[in-house]
Amino acid sequence: MIRSDSRPKLDGSAVYGVDLREEGMLWGALVLAPASHGRIRRLDLSNARAMPGVAAVIGPDEVRALLPSRDGDRERPAFPRSEVLYRNQPVAAVAAATRAQARAAARAVAIELEPLPIVPDVESVYPEWPADGAPISPDVIAHVHARHGDLARCFGEAEFVHAETYRTSGVHQVALEPHACLARVDADRWFVRTSTQTPFGVREDAAEILGIPQERIVVEGTWVGGGFGGKGSSFLEPYALLLAAATGRPVKLQLTHREEFLLGRTTLPTVVRIETAVREGRMTARRVRLLLDSGASLPGRDFATGFVIGFLLGPYRLDAFEMEGFGIRTNKPPFGPHRAPLTPQCVFVEESHTDSIARRLGVDPVEFRLRQVWREGDRTHLDQPVGPFGIEEGLRRAQAVVREWRRDLPKDHGIGVAVGFWSTGTGAGGEARVRVGPTGLTIVQGEREIGSGSVVGGLSRVAERVTGLPREAVRIEYRDTSEAPYDSGVFGSRTVGALGQAVEKAARRLLQGIGERLGERTPVSLAWHDGRVLVVAGEQRLELAELLTPEERAKGGVEAAGRHFGAPGAIDEGRVVTGSFYPFNDFTGSVAVVEVGVDRETGAVTPVRVASFPDVGVVLDRALVDGQVEGGVVMGLGTALTEEMLWGPDGRLGNPHFLDYRIPTLGEAPPIRIDPVEGFRGAGPFGAKGVGEPPIIPIPAAVANAVADAVGARVTELPVSAERVARALKLL
Amino acid sequence: MGFALVAPNTVAEALALAAPDAAGVPLLLAGGTDLLRDLDDGRVAPTRVISLRRMPWRSIAWDGGSATIGSTRPLRALELDPLVRARLPGLWEAIRTVGSVGLRQQATLGGNVARAAPASDLLPILLAYEAEISIVSAAGPRRLPIDRFVLGTRRTVLRPGDLIDAVVLPHGGPSSYVWQRVRPANDISQVGLAAAFVGAPPSWRIALGGVLPMPVRLASVEASLGKGLPGPAAIAAAGREAAERAPFASDKRATEAYRRLLVTALLRRAVETVIRQAQGGASP
Amino acid sequence: MTEPPVRLSVNGEPRSLTVPTDERLLDTLRQRLGLTGTKEGCRSGDCGACTVVVDGHPMLSCLTLTHEVPDATILTIEGAGRDPIGLRVQRAFEREGALQCGYCTPGFVLALTGLLTERGGVADPSELLEDLSGNLCRCTGYAAIVRAVRRVAEESH
Repeated sequence: MIRSDSRPKLDGSAVYGVDLREEGMLWGALVLAPASHGRIRRLDLSNARAMPGVAAVIGPDEVRALLPSRDGDRERPAFPRSEVLYRNQPVAAVAAATRAQARAAARAVAIELEPLPIVPDVESVYPEWPADGAPISPDVIAHVHARHGDLARCFGEAEFVHAETYRTSGVHQVALEPHACLARVDADRWFVRTSTQTPFGVREDAAEILGIPQERIVVEGTWVGGGFGGKGSSFLEPYALLLAAATGRPVKLQLTHREEFLLGRTTLPTVVRIETAVREGRMTARRVRLLLDSGASLPGRDFATGFVIGFLLGPYRLDAFEMEGFGIRTNKPPFGPHRAPLTPQCVFVEESHTDSIARRLGVDPVEFRLRQVWREGDRTHLDQPVGPFGIEEGLRRAQAVVREWRRDLPKDHGIGVAVGFWSTGTGAGGEARVRVGPTGLTIVQGEREIGSGSVVGGLSRVAERVTGLPREAVRIEYRDTSEAPYDSGVFGSRTVGALGQAVEKAARRLLQGIGERLGERTPVSLAWHDGRVLVVAGEQRLELAELLTPEERAKGGVEAAGRHFGAPGAIDEGRVVTGSFYPFNDFTGSVAVVEVGVDRETGAVTPVRVASFPDVGVVLDRALVDGQVEGGVVMGLGTALTEEMLWGPDGRLGNPHFLDYRIPTLGEAPPIRIDPVEGFRGAGPFGAKGVGEPPIIPIPAAVANAVADAVGARVTELPVSAERVARALKLL
Repeated sequence: MGFALVAPNTVAEALALAAPDAAGVPLLLAGGTDLLRDLDDGRVAPTRVISLRRMPWRSIAWDGGSATIGSTRPLRALELDPLVRARLPGLWEAIRTVGSVGLRQQATLGGNVARAAPASDLLPILLAYEAEISIVSAAGPRRLPIDRFVLGTRRTVLRPGDLIDAVVLPHGGPSSYVWQRVRPANDISQVGLAAAFVGAPPSWRIALGGVLPMPVRLASVEASLGKGLPGPAAIAAAGREAAERAPFASDKRATEAYRRLLVTALLRRAVETVIRQAQGGASP
Repeated sequence: MTEPPVRLSVNGEPRSLTVPTDERLLDTLRQRLGLTGTKEGCRSGDCGACTVVVDGHPMLSCLTLTHEVPDATILTIEGAGRDPIGLRVQRAFEREGALQCGYCTPGFVLALTGLLTERGGVADPSELLEDLSGNLCRCTGYAAIVRAVRRVAEESH
């Protein structure tokens, strides 16, 4: 069986957040702000309270009464007291007997807003690039600036400076499963069952918002129907908990898909200016400026600007650089993480730009990159040492594929290559326990499977490799936050790399302990025979049961714990002018080749085939690696070609549904050749690197480069829609 | 919430129930794919809904080249019908673009026609085939050519108490429906173009969807194609005529300028397909 | 509104249900019968997650009024394993690992089961794949699902 979670998902028994039910439960509904920016003049809950089936309606005053230990205007109140910052911001909540009654009552809440000026996008704050040294707009919530080397001299001595402006769109995670949770408050235990990537993160967030100690909150995860970053932090849980406290009943809260789009915290648009000095066939210096739409993010809560801006410089050796980013607050929901947050967009910019330089020079685009791409031992722009890195190897393999595909390339088809790289979230730590008994090994941990297989498969593969047991002998046991060892969450492609290290350490400790019982110096491993665990030490083979005391046998075996908490890398702060930059944790590459066909009459772009070279370190489970590549590539094609959130000047989202926010359908998925690059060791067990995010990263760039190759015209905006290609072809 | 739902057994019963009364105008339920979405969006809040599921309008009858399609025959049944594919190829192509298979299990021709959406993928080919809409009412039956049935954006001649019982296509023959969308499947067309070369003697009919206020035939484009089967020059001229004349507008799916660009390419492709069919080539 | 009960056969079990006129089959299955295997997606017919088989055809339960399918025979994911074609489809999905988060899986399994049932259990894979364009998946990139469809189609010949 390729996946150990196949059965419950194929027989309908898997319970997701939306499937949660409890005796006596009420349904919750959120009251959503009707405009994008305004001062709250009146919030009248009385009509809603009078509606059929309503058990409670809570606004800021009711929340204050429910949480006496918390004083009023903390940084993250559950509901805003004075100002609405984005359309559909939750301003109150209702609990009622049925879902329809709750939603009807939510609509009956009267809210009056005094309109305030709306900042719909970054261009309204900076229609021109911010001038050097000019005062920063108060709408800028994050400003980062770093530089190194003699940029002016490089630009002065350049044969040419290639300068371009790029724009990227907002894209949504579009997990098929909407957010849903069910909360219950008994005495002083606040309990919530929820579909989430981060049970412990939800607990922490809820504690902060509710102002109560974490130990009083218990979070139990369900199966997750896709996260992609959108379920990477708390969302509905604090509201559900408050409604449960207000009513004394269990309360279920669930979003519709329309609300998923309207309230979603996700990738927002950017404008990027990128300039590269070129001399003697080399890129000598690069200057990038980023305007990032941060939505209604609070100052100090922006993670994106300082994280992604490094990707705009690219993984190339340069003599000088300058990077400056502005996170700009607009009246949209706050920016939130997507799969490899904002990185497919940044790599689209950087790799399109680099590709167009190569074409301008008349140099093969892969050759051009190979001249300067990072290798192990190079230094990053902020002076971190580059670790084992598989992109040079990926590029060489890509080169072979390009040659192969060029041999019979039809007219109006083109081939594009792009290099992506990623820093996985392995800096975020976690713990696990491993228990082995006569009938098998159990990994006790606190994460639910979100779909990638990293939990039900990846962690198991680590334990199997360490111990020698086959997969039938290993099971994953999930426990809620009151019982499980702490873990940071399933995000950032970190599960195997970080939590996996905890599992690895625990498993090794377990073997060591078993070895000690034998008085053995030779390494001990485990084997599996007829459903029983055997211990193997040199020539010896014996039943594990024989080594256990009766107490241990009664408890199910022996256990060991492991923890991994990585030390963050350090950047050279001397290169920083202002702001916080995130160090890279590791260097995970991802090279892709895409062939497209372009319809010269309409501009329509059809992906024909894709080759992906993920820098995986070591393949622990080929089927799971393939699944992540296939999923990431197709998601990347959506970002590249059809996905775009469309906001109006009043901040209203014009396409909050599947019909007009278009993710790829089955017929649009081209054949994908997958060639994992092994041997460039990551920090994870056996040298494994995360594979959840890297495959998506180079895809939009590779598509844009393929279009340029096909028709000689470049689209500098995402998505590369047919209409934009038609404009680039000067058909319009 | 909640409405009275009745499923009359006979046409006479249905007509009696469909008549407006003190409670207002009852809504008609055929496939329900549009009605249910309207209910969820809060666009309609009926007190009475009349289900047409028992009406005897689910078959298709052929008389030579002419087809009488029952208004509540599911689109999926038409899609799976080899005679529809062979004799009304453009209609077959158009049906396959509507939503998804699941949607087409329920959706009906009558429902699509009654809704008269400007982006309907079925109206252009029905216009090209000069379809007639057969209406029954308490005052008796009547039949209208489709270009007099649709009056504007989501507006038809239907009055309360009227029921569509059939869509009649008086002549079959070579036709094609082509379209452009952001995404090839499960999407709304930016531009849809139907071309047919039918009648006795056969002549060109070109109809456009994705225009406002409603899908239309383009007489000047038809004239540009001339009599008989046109060559490349005439097709190109017709394409330019279409780009100039079509009543396009900009919306979130495409700008007006892009639609004008698309229509030229679509016209050429549709006409070339029809020419191949007329010359004895394969249907799609 | 008090309505006469609707009779349905759900996974082989006869049911007689008193249901409001505006209730969707999706909600009858999930809320009233507790069969939560059929998933709620967009509720507007655009994602296919709610697909079930009704009288041998794949249908979108979110756009079906329960009162509009009286006396229907309904197959959901909970019953798919007891349907000969449904079982073949489940096995093919398992063999190919054609699922990740699993949320779209019931819809795909029932859509494919319905499409094959319509065709008497034998079908051309490319027709099946085309007919599945209404089922969205965000995790797999469809590749493993395509492999599962081909496997089922091959086994049927």
